[in-house]
Amino acid sequence: MNKHPVDQYLSTITRRQLFQRVGLGVGGFALANLLNNDLSAAAKNPFAHFAPKAKNVIYFHLVGAPSHLDLFDYKPELQKRNGELCPKEMFEGKQLAFIRSRPTLLGTSKESKYEFKKCGKSGIRVSNLLPHLQTVADDMCFIRTLHTEQFNHAPAQMFMQTGFERFGRPSLGAWTNYGIGSPNKDLPGFVVMVTGSYPGAGNSVFGSGFLPSVYQGIEFRGKGDPVLFLSNPKGVDSTARRKVISAVNQLNEMQLDGVGDPEIATRISQYEMAYRMQTSVPELKDLSKESQTTLDAYGAKVGGAGFANNCLLARRMVERGVRFVQLFDQGWDHHSGVFNRLPGKCKQVDQPIAALIKDLKERGLLDETLVVWSAEFGRTPMGQGTGGSGEKTSIGRDHHKEAFTVWMAGGGTKPGHVHGRTDDLGYGIADSPVHVHDFNATLLHLLGMDHERLTYRFQGRKFRLTDVHGHVVKNVIT
Amino acid sequence: MSKEVKIFTLLLLPSLILAKIDFNREIRPILSEHCFACHGLDDPQGGLRLDFAEFAYKGGKSGFPAIVPGDLEESEILHRMVSTDMDDRMPPKGDALKPEQIKLLRQWVSSGAQYAKHWAYVLPERPVLPKVEHKDFVRTPVDQFILSKLDEKEWAPSEPEKREKWIRRVSLGLTGLPPTLEEFENFTHDDSPQAKEKVVDRLLASPRYGEHWARQWLDLARYADSNGFQADQLRDSWAFRDWVINAINQDMPFDQFTIEQIAGDLLPNATIDQKIATGFHRTATCNVEAGVHPEENRVNQVVDRVNATGTTWLGTTMECAQCHSHKYDPFSQEEYFQMFAFFNNTPLEVENKSGRGVSFDFWGPKMELPLPEDKQKQWDSLNAELEIKKEELTIMQKEANRKYKEWTQQKFEITKEKKSEWLVLNPTKAISDGGESLRIVKDGSLLAEGKPGDKSTYQIEVTVPAGTWKSFQLETMLHKSMKQNGPGRNTTNANPNFVLTEMIVKVEGASKPLDFVRVVADFNQGGFLPSQLFDGNLDTRNGWAIAPEFGKAHWVQAEFNEPLVLDKDSILQIEMKHLYGGGRNVGRPRFSLSTDGVQKGEAESKRLHELLAKEKRNGKEERELRAIFDQENPKLLALQKKVGDLEKSIKKVTPPTTLVMVEMDEKRDTYVMARGSYLSPEQKVEADVPQVLNDWKPEWPKNRLGLAKWLVDSENPLTARVIVNRWWGQFFGSGIVSTEEDFGSQSEPPTHPELLDWLAVEFMENGWSMKHIHKLIALSGTYGQSSRVTTAMLERDANNRFFLRGPRFRMTAEMIRDNGLQIAGLLSGKMGGPPVYPPQPDGLWRQTGRNEPKYTAAQTEDRFRRGIYVIWRRAAPYASFVNFDGPDRSACHPKRSRTNTPLQALTLLNDQAYVEMALGFAVSILEKTQGYSDQDRITHAVRRALSRDPSGRETEVLLGLLNEQSGRLKSDSSIAKSLLSQAPQIEISEKLESYEVGAWFFVANALLNLDETITKG
Repeated sequence: MNKHPVDQYLSTITRRQLFQRVGLGVGGFALANLLNNDLSAAAKNPFAHFAPKAKNVIYFHLVGAPSHLDLFDYKPELQKRNGELCPKEMFEGKQLAFIRSRPTLLGTSKESKYEFKKCGKSGIRVSNLLPHLQTVADDMCFIRTLHTEQFNHAPAQMFMQTGFERFGRPSLGAWTNYGIGSPNKDLPGFVVMVTGSYPGAGNSVFGSGFLPSVYQGIEFRGKGDPVLFLSNPKGVDSTARRKVISAVNQLNEMQLDGVGDPEIATRISQYEMAYRMQTSVPELKDLSKESQTTLDAYGAKVGGAGFANNCLLARRMVERGVRFVQLFDQGWDHHSGVFNRLPGKCKQVDQPIAALIKDLKERGLLDETLVVWSAEFGRTPMGQGTGGSGEKTSIGRDHHKEAFTVWMAGGGTKPGHVHGRTDDLGYGIADSPVHVHDFNATLLHLLGMDHERLTYRFQGRKFRLTDVHGHVVKNVIT
Repeated sequence: MSKEVKIFTLLLLPSLILAKIDFNREIRPILSEHCFACHGLDDPQGGLRLDFAEFAYKGGKSGFPAIVPGDLEESEILHRMVSTDMDDRMPPKGDALKPEQIKLLRQWVSSGAQYAKHWAYVLPERPVLPKVEHKDFVRTPVDQFILSKLDEKEWAPSEPEKREKWIRRVSLGLTGLPPTLEEFENFTHDDSPQAKEKVVDRLLASPRYGEHWARQWLDLARYADSNGFQADQLRDSWAFRDWVINAINQDMPFDQFTIEQIAGDLLPNATIDQKIATGFHRTATCNVEAGVHPEENRVNQVVDRVNATGTTWLGTTMECAQCHSHKYDPFSQEEYFQMFAFFNNTPLEVENKSGRGVSFDFWGPKMELPLPEDKQKQWDSLNAELEIKKEELTIMQKEANRKYKEWTQQKFEITKEKKSEWLVLNPTKAISDGGESLRIVKDGSLLAEGKPGDKSTYQIEVTVPAGTWKSFQLETMLHKSMKQNGPGRNTTNANPNFVLTEMIVKVEGASKPLDFVRVVADFNQGGFLPSQLFDGNLDTRNGWAIAPEFGKAHWVQAEFNEPLVLDKDSILQIEMKHLYGGGRNVGRPRFSLSTDGVQKGEAESKRLHELLAKEKRNGKEERELRAIFDQENPKLLALQKKVGDLEKSIKKVTPPTTLVMVEMDEKRDTYVMARGSYLSPEQKVEADVPQVLNDWKPEWPKNRLGLAKWLVDSENPLTARVIVNRWWGQFFGSGIVSTEEDFGSQSEPPTHPELLDWLAVEFMENGWSMKHIHKLIALSGTYGQSSRVTTAMLERDANNRFFLRGPRFRMTAEMIRDNGLQIAGLLSGKMGGPPVYPPQPDGLWRQTGRNEPKYTAAQTEDRFRRGIYVIWRRAAPYASFVNFDGPDRSACHPKRSRTNTPLQALTLLNDQAYVEMALGFAVSILEKTQGYSDQDRITHAVRRALSRDPSGRETEVLLGLLNEQSGRLKSDSSIAKSLLSQAPQIEISEKLESYEVGAWFFVANALLNLDETITKG
């Protein structure tokens, strides 16, 4: 980044000098920048507790919860016992969303397209539904024993992202943005992209909760302005916009000279940044400078929209220093027809995500970029045969909070590694459980933050993402 | 505190005089920060509690006292704090206490280690007004407290603010709107000593006052127009929002305000308004996604009510105690569930309508709102008519039932129907708007020729001889010019289909088209029924079509509602609308009339035959047969239709509803829930209030009503303080207790404790009048001093906690909108009613799930109403509000952040709503300043935006912008045209030149973006 001329000027004078100048009615604009710089220097990374393994995060939340048992957690025993009534202890007294009578076991279909293949040197099994991800399995680090406390979508999404099942808490991205900020000042530090409809919990899953709203996820939209209100109204071109901002800022400087409130200086710099965003955001979004090979690898299109484009945009964002990029993709809630619907959804995401991992690796960015595949919960090893109004449906899987698979790649996670083991039927955890709080603690750790010390005081209490829980899963870290 | 301990501490009193240590100010924060988390109420480590004297003096499991008053040697904690052995040292984690903290603790122990109740739990008493020097600063008693603190520090307050800035500040502060030019002029020309008071009284009496102050309360009440969560459907609760605005405008005493909201339904002979008020606690979010567990859902909402009550009235974070006893404040988990018990007698709040499966809808008590008089009259008369028609219908149906029985016994005879005779009507005129021509053929048909129009409407006139006609027929005939000979002219594929959307048949000169009762066709495509031809529905997917029966002629026949009696030869005008598209137009229509009823289609006749022949019919078949029979009875059909129509009309005037609280007849038992989970009930508890606060009075009922009375009892130490502090925060940017949301032991101590207490007592003793307190603050010298910041001030007191200067801070999201609309002259003063939809970018409302509501921007004055009325959808609140720190209102929100971001700049520069404001402002400037010089126009504009005159340099900058843009727009007229075109809602007089409006748009846009414009300074 080129330094703004005012910033350059500022770096040569002291804060004290500036205060004096303000007192004399000079250089209001400068004050803000100095204050900002000061702020960002002092508060640079107030919660950077130790050297980070990862600088940036690209976080995929597969909304609705993919059937991990048919993608990542191979269960031959479940296949063998397909159709048997499930053991009582898997049903009685358990919190299930849809299943209301003792269900039967549901093994992964034995058709070849659903087979699990041993991949790469690590030999980790990944479903044939994800042929591209199979090729990067050696870069992935699986946790097969994540478990959560919520079994309905919206509360579980909030629990996963904010560590709390109800509204009002900051999301992981917001905590990160608050904790270590973002190096690029012309782009938001926490960007969100959504394909399909919003997650059930709405904006709260990337909201700032009780943190100042400046830390919330800013949505980059596929249609219309990528950032709300980014483009000028009709009849206002970039030059005219520049003139208006200059006039506004000249008047604001006069006001600053008159009343001396440093907030005015900040406002001036925010208008300058808004103007720069009007260039930097379209530049970021413009894929025309990407090679055809790259575009083809992702399946992205210049001027297009959708999941593949978002994956490529995610890479462009982390290249530019956006700290936290989060992609939500809707459509994984397969209560019925799981074997019919899963292939289509997998096809949408498999190639772009694998391409992203390869692309990051080729550019030497994977080491410092943490890629995460996650969901609000997993899906039951028992089949579900009825829908919301009790009608019969083709077989699917219900919500499952007891154990599910997530994976990470890069950013200091062990490549080609599997952590934890579920029981033979894929219902419970046989070995090394990881709670949502543990998982979030681990992600913060990779970013150089101690989850017990990343706190914000609100309503008389120091709040944390992990409440009073969470242990870093050391085994997944290089 | 037990009696023994009280005596014990009394005995120690003499030694206390040694050193004056204020426990609450100096010691409690240290203990709270470093000790209470482990040695507090919740599961104390080693059995030791340090939060109360009696426990600390006694010690924990070790048996040794942790603190021995007056004895440094025997007080174990003092040793543990300085221990170098990390196994021994306290606190065990993190850094050791600072030397000055240890020194303080030692002083405190040696002076007697006296505990004091946390200040906020001690009832406020009216302090004596401090004596001060600078009398001229003092306008209201408030100032004496402020000044005395400044005197202590040997600091001086600022000069009084300039009059023009004062009136803007006080207008924005009380009503959220800037002064109008007239109000501004009146005040600046009023030299009387009461000038300021007159302004404040006027503002307090303005309906705009309630609209402004309701915002803060609605944040606490987490008022929104949707359920939250998946789908996030809308709900009607706006009557509660209006209730809050009205109550504030009427200066309803705050104790009553509280009682009606917490327990209005439980008051004797509760009025409708008192019930509406209980909407406060029906605003909780509700998850209706499939698979929720209804009881869990209900418990979540009760939890939300307990927490919101704690935060709103007591400034206390109750929610920690849901899962475990509070770590810092003296609230146990048991006490949490005692509070819970007050709110526990509620019905489930989701409903499984079908009774099957796991789908749920939002449910729960709601109430119909009273209708305005005219609507009520309409409602009554419609209902009366409905009753009569329903009676008639019953009689007619009985008769029909009898006839039906006879009819079904006739068996086959009935089905032998004679064929009707049809007279072909000769066309005299036929045109199409789709470009094809309609040639009149000898047989009386019309042959469409030329390229089929995409969606054609044919206008045809035919002659009809005098007579009494019963039925009308359209034949769709074949011709070799069409694919497979027709009968349709579809151009998109090989199938010669047509979709005839609607037909309108009218006698020339008649005022209304003809009505038909029975429409049959020889064939129809699934879903495209012949009856849809005359249903008035112009949906493109509605109408009559014939796929896959191509290559065959078809017909449709319709019976007139009343026989068509023509005493002379007449003209019939026929309109055929084909709206499906793709040239799916009828290729060769022909019309005829008959004096007989319509004949049954072949299929229908066959079916009737079948049905009548059956020995036994099942329910479905019986209904089908009955329907065929009823078709023959137009009177019955007409009456059925009338009843249906009446029911529809009644639905349209049905009163809106609002959500209210009710108490179930049968009380639920309440249990402490282990870890806060409803699945793990432990011991049973009864409704009660926390012990540390004021006592329960026996005359209060143990329900929500009693709870409400307890909250606003004169013995309650928290409520009045919490409320006045929050108001202070609105006036000055931050409360006297800066943690406005928390008054517990972790809170920031008040900067001016005596002032806080004085205001709290003043509030209670003046009938809990909000306006009384607001007047004292608004008229104070403290509020009215200059807000200019100097370097010295920043160094002394950067956050202005001691009021060296007047308040200056950015407005809230709603104020910024209202202020802009008012400046632009667009603001609508319309109050109340359903929420409004100002413009926002497309695509912001897309949730998962059923019944997703749509956002359609208002085109009426609703587009320009105050922010308080804007639809609040939790999953996607109004976008520009979000950018200015508007919360999603999913939970009680005691304090908004005040950020300063580039997204705010983009909002004010580019949001359609602000583009309209700038354009409206530009037009209004030009209209109000005809004949002015540009310089004078700038002055006018700046006065409107900032309530002051511009400086010479400011005028220069704005004139520069104006001239530059004026030049650009003049040179290319298309720019102004496209600029102006994007806000058709703004009326632009033809007298104004487009380039001029366009150039002033830029000035207006700049003015609406100034820091000063969006700041209450």
